[in-house]
Amino acid sequence: MNPLLHIAAYKLRAFVKSAFDLRPAVLIRGLGSMLVFGAFAYGAFRLSFTLTEFILEQTRAGLFLYHQFISMMLFVFFVAVNLGNIIVSYSTLYRSPEVAYLMTKPVPFVQVFLLKFLDNFLYSSGTLFLIGFMVLLGYGTYFRHEWHFFIAVMLVVLVPFMFLSASLAVLVLMAIMKAAGRFGFRTVMGGLFVVYALIIGVFFQYSNPVALVERVQHARLTAETDIAELLPGFLAYLPNQWVADFLHALARGEGARALGSAGILLGAAVAVFLVVIFVAKRFYYRSWMVSLQVQSLALAPYNPHRLHLIDFRRGHGFAPQVEVLLKKELFSFLREPSQWIHFIVMIVLTGLFVISVSNLNLRLRVVDVQILTYLVLFAFGGFMTCSLALRFVFPMIGLEGKQFWVLRGGPVDLRKVYFLKFAIGFVVVLFIAECIAFASNIPFVRFSGRRPLLLWFGVYEAFWISLAVVSMNLGFGAVFANYNEKNPIRAASSQGATLTFLFTLFFLLVHIGIVLLPLVDYFTSLFHFTRFDLTRVVVPGTALAVVSMLVSVFALAVGLRAARRDF
Amino acid sequence: MIELINVTKKFGTFTAVDDLTLTVKAGEFFGFLGPNGAGKTTTIKMITGLFAPTSGSVRVNGIDVQAEPIEAKKRLAYIPDQPFLYDKLSGREFLYFVGGLYRVDKTVMQERIKEIIDQFEIGSWVDRRTEDYSQGMRQRISIAAALVHRPKTIVIDEPMVGLDPRSAKIVRHTLRSQVKSGTTILMSTHSLPVAEELCDRIGIINDGRLVFCDTQEQLQADKAKYDGKFESVFLEVTKQHG
Repeated sequence: MNPLLHIAAYKLRAFVKSAFDLRPAVLIRGLGSMLVFGAFAYGAFRLSFTLTEFILEQTRAGLFLYHQFISMMLFVFFVAVNLGNIIVSYSTLYRSPEVAYLMTKPVPFVQVFLLKFLDNFLYSSGTLFLIGFMVLLGYGTYFRHEWHFFIAVMLVVLVPFMFLSASLAVLVLMAIMKAAGRFGFRTVMGGLFVVYALIIGVFFQYSNPVALVERVQHARLTAETDIAELLPGFLAYLPNQWVADFLHALARGEGARALGSAGILLGAAVAVFLVVIFVAKRFYYRSWMVSLQVQSLALAPYNPHRLHLIDFRRGHGFAPQVEVLLKKELFSFLREPSQWIHFIVMIVLTGLFVISVSNLNLRLRVVDVQILTYLVLFAFGGFMTCSLALRFVFPMIGLEGKQFWVLRGGPVDLRKVYFLKFAIGFVVVLFIAECIAFASNIPFVRFSGRRPLLLWFGVYEAFWISLAVVSMNLGFGAVFANYNEKNPIRAASSQGATLTFLFTLFFLLVHIGIVLLPLVDYFTSLFHFTRFDLTRVVVPGTALAVVSMLVSVFALAVGLRAARRDF
Repeated sequence: MIELINVTKKFGTFTAVDDLTLTVKAGEFFGFLGPNGAGKTTTIKMITGLFAPTSGSVRVNGIDVQAEPIEAKKRLAYIPDQPFLYDKLSGREFLYFVGGLYRVDKTVMQERIKEIIDQFEIGSWVDRRTEDYSQGMRQRISIAAALVHRPKTIVIDEPMVGLDPRSAKIVRHTLRSQVKSGTTILMSTHSLPVAEELCDRIGIINDGRLVFCDTQEQLQADKAKYDGKFESVFLEVTKQHG
């Protein structure tokens, strides 16, 4: 039997065993997960349907502009999947003990590569597929598409789109490993960040959605061919545009054009995958060897005679336990490439978001449009905060790993360890959330004639969101802690992590529900030139604080209890 | 001094440790033996506060581990059977980390760590990250770290696993000298010769119950009843209750 199929069969067997575990506790947990996932899936469906209806019927943006917005969202999605895959693949293709084991067996290297690549793709894409499908369902239901539309779109559009992104990611990764052998890992990663930041910057510079709307309004264009003229030519070569074109063509009933777009996407996905196999055949093993070399360089012993700025031998004015715990957290983070690389990626993405959002020039004096813009920016900022907390705070307790015995067996109050982790996560997430909130509200301050109310309220909201989201991630991270999982990325994409993410998104929805009415009042008074009574934000503001505190206390208490379980 | 008073630990319907009462006196080297799954590690984890007993109480130097865990652990050092260390720290950093947890004064700690590094002959690799260590190296760092705060009581689970003969000799010598200076040691091991060589008293646990507990002198008498081998005594007491 082909070694690839042989190993895949055993992996499948192991998966089936764990997926069909019929013990009552597992079944109840599975049922609970299904309910939460189901509710979330329904939420994604409703949101997609309502948003499509709102944009096409209320704002009357038109089919073409709407699909251009979809294209832009898909670009962000494509880059996010791509970057995520680079980071995850580094862990699974180059640092996994399973790969090291298989390399000693008579299995062709390319098969080891394919096994890990596909494993990685399927493992990390499950939730994205679910969300993607539900969004598609909402979108397709609005257009009253037939059932075969959804299957076709999943198979010939969504899967190839994500697969293309993942394939490009491993190509980039192998190039990184090759270059790292010559120029050093950190230099190459630094260069890569610059390249990605440039790509994203250039894309939004030339296809800014707000600028596009403004130009369309300015030129009073209505014909799609005229609007299309405003788009930069390079968009035609991007996968997100192919998907948007496909959906647009179907919405207009142009089957032949849709087939053409899907054909280009499928062809590109297959071609890139073939290139991946070709490159992996020639280069994966060599790049794996380079990665060992890079790792051993990173493990080079410190010079014990040199005292570093932050060093265990040096005192920094903290209480002894706090000091060593802080240093341990810092070194564990900075010495794990998958941690700091992912952190920088998220900071770069946040930075781009902050810069582009703060430069938005809002002009439309329509209440619905302003509220929608505010909510979209708020949701995007909230989503980034939740993602950041999920990726870095959720795994904090689990990453203590088997070495947790050192703390559990030592004279340390576990509350101290727990709340120190909370403080670290909270400070970092709060800082980033405040930057996002500040930048997201600047356009509204400009628009409202320098009235800072929304800005201060945004800063206030960001505080409570950060508190609740960090608490939920730390607490539920302790509840779902898997002390055997050393890979932070896998820990942050586990079932428990996904559930936690859904809870945090639900919290955001509750939050939106609380602030929606005063927001409507605020924009209405702004456009009708009436006075906005400040006391109208007191009740929702207080409700926000109370809800956030309750959520925070509950999540932290549950987590602390879980962290104290028998170890 | 370690006292276990009517300690029981249940996992669901399974009883891992069943009404165990045991006292290890101050300055005593106690060997804790038993077949796989007999309840040794569970008992040790209850002494070190990693497991909460279902019933009964555990005291370390007179302090109840459940009621005053921090005070009890200040006087205790635990060396687990699987010496998992923080991968991203070097051995030296790990020693400082553990010293900090026990609030050892920085100047004192520097001196002690220097002594320990010499004593365990780990100077040539102590500044490498622990993720690069072999099992034996991890074990040596784990044992070395346990001594940084000069504990009154040491609980050690399988200390000789993965150690080369020279390292094993260093560890044996270190543990004996700790006992000579008044430290209490409870050591779990599968190695009957090691237990015979080092321990003042030996207990054997089987199915969660203490089925044998004798001093070296009594053990010699017991051995004489069989073929003069400790192995035969061990097999007999664990068979009867197995």
